[in-house]
Amino acid sequence: MNTSLRAGRRRRKTTAALFLTPFYVLFIATMIVPIGYAIWLSLFTEKTSGLGFGGTRRVFTGLGNYADALGDDKFRDGFIAIGLYCLLYIPIMVGAALVLALLLDSALARARRFFQLALFLPHAVPGIIAALIWVYLYTPGLSPIIDLLESGGLHWDFLASDTALFSIVNIATWEWIGYNMIIFYAALQAIPREVVEAATVDGAGPVRIAVSVKIPMIRAAVAMTMLFTIIGSLQLFTEPSILSDANPAVGSSWTPNMYAYSAAFRANDFGLAAAASVLLAVFAAALSFGVTRLSSGRRTA
Amino acid sequence: MQRTSIRLGTALVGIVTALSLVTACGGGDGDKKKDAGAGPAAGGGPAQKQELSFWSWTKGTQEVVDAFNKSHPDIQVKYEQIPSGNAGGYAKMSNAVKAGNAPDVLTIEYPQLPDFVSQGAVQDITSKVSGLKSKFPASVNKLTELGGKTWAVPLDAAPMALYYRKDFFTDHNIAVPKTWDEYRAAAEQVKKADPNARIGTFYPDDPSTMAGLTWQAGGAWFGTEGESWKVSLTDPNSRKVGEYWNKLVSDDLVRVQPSFSQQWNADLKSGGTVGIVGASWSAGVLKSSQPDLAGKWAVAPLPDWGTPANAMLGGSTFAVSKDSKKSKAALTFIEWMTTTKEGISARIASGTSSAYPAATELVPTASQFFDTGYFGKQDIYPLFTDAAGKVGAGWTWGPSMTQTNTILKDQFGKLSSGGTIVGALEEAQKTTVEELKKRGISVK
Amino acid sequence: MSTTVQHPGEHSGGAAADAPAPTPARTGRPARRPRAKGRATEALMSRIAVNGALVLATLYMLLPLAWLLIAATKDMGGLFGGDGFAFDGFHFTENVKAVNNESDGIYWRWYLNSLLYAGVGAAVGSFVSVLAGYAFDKFDFPGKEKLFGGVLLGVLVPTTAVALPLYLLASKVGLVNTFWAVFIPVIVNPFGVYLARVFSAGYIPGEVLEAARMDGAGEIRTFRSVALPMMMPGFVTIFLFQFTAIWNNFFLPLVMLSDQKLYPVSLGLYSWNTNAHASPEFYPLVITGSLMAVVPLVVAFVSLQRHWRSGLSAGSVK
Repeated sequence: MNTSLRAGRRRRKTTAALFLTPFYVLFIATMIVPIGYAIWLSLFTEKTSGLGFGGTRRVFTGLGNYADALGDDKFRDGFIAIGLYCLLYIPIMVGAALVLALLLDSALARARRFFQLALFLPHAVPGIIAALIWVYLYTPGLSPIIDLLESGGLHWDFLASDTALFSIVNIATWEWIGYNMIIFYAALQAIPREVVEAATVDGAGPVRIAVSVKIPMIRAAVAMTMLFTIIGSLQLFTEPSILSDANPAVGSSWTPNMYAYSAAFRANDFGLAAAASVLLAVFAAALSFGVTRLSSGRRTA
Repeated sequence: MQRTSIRLGTALVGIVTALSLVTACGGGDGDKKKDAGAGPAAGGGPAQKQELSFWSWTKGTQEVVDAFNKSHPDIQVKYEQIPSGNAGGYAKMSNAVKAGNAPDVLTIEYPQLPDFVSQGAVQDITSKVSGLKSKFPASVNKLTELGGKTWAVPLDAAPMALYYRKDFFTDHNIAVPKTWDEYRAAAEQVKKADPNARIGTFYPDDPSTMAGLTWQAGGAWFGTEGESWKVSLTDPNSRKVGEYWNKLVSDDLVRVQPSFSQQWNADLKSGGTVGIVGASWSAGVLKSSQPDLAGKWAVAPLPDWGTPANAMLGGSTFAVSKDSKKSKAALTFIEWMTTTKEGISARIASGTSSAYPAATELVPTASQFFDTGYFGKQDIYPLFTDAAGKVGAGWTWGPSMTQTNTILKDQFGKLSSGGTIVGALEEAQKTTVEELKKRGISVK
Repeated sequence: MSTTVQHPGEHSGGAAADAPAPTPARTGRPARRPRAKGRATEALMSRIAVNGALVLATLYMLLPLAWLLIAATKDMGGLFGGDGFAFDGFHFTENVKAVNNESDGIYWRWYLNSLLYAGVGAAVGSFVSVLAGYAFDKFDFPGKEKLFGGVLLGVLVPTTAVALPLYLLASKVGLVNTFWAVFIPVIVNPFGVYLARVFSAGYIPGEVLEAARMDGAGEIRTFRSVALPMMMPGFVTIFLFQFTAIWNNFFLPLVMLSDQKLYPVSLGLYSWNTNAHASPEFYPLVITGSLMAVVPLVVAFVSLQRHWRSGLSAGSVK
């Protein structure tokens, strides 16, 4: 082997290390170390005595905080709420985004650019502002939407206990349809024209083509969307927190994330908060790892 | 395409450079400020100007701070309005205390004072305020003394009262209720007179009203026996009040809405809600949030259970944060705000506050500066004074009211899906005791 | 491996595109020629149905924004009474003035903070991602795929689940309630690294690099003058979406910051909205402030639509 080639290879290794260092330093400092520290903190709890006005001391509790979190109905209810939320949200949001992308992709659609942009705009609205707007639109007496429904003879209470889930799903759907629609549309546009034309020649109608040609061809995009939607759903916080100001049925620990926040800042129980965050992170990583394996397995099959 | 991208890239680099310059300046600015702030504390010379930071949300605070700064050239207070405690202010404060950047002066309502004391977030000021004690009634002093030490100075005593739409009650010949039985009857009459109107609101997000009503009924959620706590959220009086309000809710005689929410404001404005069970400070809230309804509201004594009694709903105190190095200046400011004519008059003259001073001798000052135009010239302070005289002395706030309130809040949220108020109290009783024991606090 | 273009948002969602790289997007297919009159009416009906559905969806998307626009012109009274979609006096200028005056113009300070967090954060962050993605794509070194696996795991952990541990750590080391407590974590974007690797593979042919090396250019120079310009469209895409994610970020500043001078707009508006519990006069400020916070993003997305759209559709190789 030639020495200059070897030198070049060594130089390239050094460059690679140089290029990767900034990312990994940051990655370790903001992901690995905090989680490690949270695991450490989660092993301790604060104890006081008597009336509780004499200060606190920190004691080792082993897995006690994990037992407390897992044994707490509110924490488990948070996961149930997220599960229900996903069951409602994913089909609605992904379904609507897919349908809209197919409509845009069909030969019949007009003004594609305008529709793409208009449908995408809500994504530019910060989640907190979206939630604030929708709270007004959910409030009887202030909401033109409720007035509209009433004039059509429909009574819908967006702030009731059994509609809370739907109201939150609606906010998230509004924020994310457009974004995912653009992604699906881009994937659809990449389908080779001949494939669609061949199906047309075979006499398939537009709906048939959409269902049996187009959707299977963008399956990977749909699977990835699902994966990221699930990860996103697990961190649900902003929308339910804002809605809880208007709808008492959305409690202080409606999602696992809210539970951890509440443990840290309302109960001042850092050990419990750390344990809940660690559990949530592990659960999320395991779940999305599972989903990835499942979808990639199906894709290669 | 490629070309524009590159051009855009160059533009981005330009923006980044510009912004990083701004950060650099911002950073430098911040450092300078820090130095300036540290100066007086470190030097501590009497001639030097002291800067105090202060977080609050009570009405009229800006005016109070302005007046104080004008009359005290040696101490300058920097005021920041924060969300009211229940709405996130307490989380923000305890967060700041932990981060070591809490302001010198904190606003804490009576119920949460024990929380902050047990977190170690506030300074023991026993020796520095002993001279002030005589200015406040014993029932108030009891709430700022915990474990034998004094931790805060009270601003207002916040006796409870009933607010109602005088025009509505007169038009429909509804008598102003004097007892809770009459209140229920009046609630029925209101609904009958106008199917879209209700006499009041149950606030599922704010258990302190329920606490106040229980206090009035002679209940006591918390108490101490020696070095142990007694927790009794489900004593007979608490149950009685819980069942009473539960019935009002289930019979659809009161609204169920979060306090101060958009819904609550919208219904007050439209006349859909014609009454408020509130406290002395509610007069100021009404005035500033419903200016259009001036002249239509009146105040009456809180209905009772047959024997005259009242309670405090909320009410604020000021405390010095743990890390403050300017406790002397802070206490000068606190004392001025709570116990001087100038301090109280500046607050009330703002037109937005109707605080009932805890320092009894200043009640006439408050009364004098309160503009009663909104209430059709009704003189409301004598009514508050009468109410304050009936406040029972048997009430103590628990060691972790934020947590107890969170439990109650979550449970009250289930009212519309089959939950009950008494059920909520039972759950809060059980969980509070568990949590206290878990923290090592002794519970009997 | 199959590749995707996607950005995990702060909240929910995201997606993927499976598209061969720089192929220009088709601009629609020719409509089938109707063979008979009946088919013509049928085609017209379908056309109306398709476009009608799109119009309905657009209405759903735009109505809340229209409401925000109208609400920003109302004062307290108008906001809590009357018709949500009707103008009720024009108080927009007063509202803007009130926003300007509140706490000595703190709103604009928040605005500047947001620009710093999002603008500088996304610029630095995308650059860091591009460096790493390029290294993963173009260099061979031991343990490469294992390291990359770490990146993928980072993609899978929700950012808000790490926010609380970050807070605990930051309070330990005394960084909590500082500019850096928010700025540093948002720079890290594992998904950006993943994307950058895909972009690097799609945009930079290996031969170009070889040619540059033959000419005697060092690795860093090759990257700066050959690779980076070629990756610009990918850089812009990563930048834009990271910018949006940081601008919209709420949870991290919420836990980290207690000094309102450090707030980004999102947290500032939230604190005003909670102030409104005690002081309802804050409600109109929140609405007007929200409108002004949304406008720059809308403008950015409208004016840069070619970039994000091509970035989303381009960019992947099998």
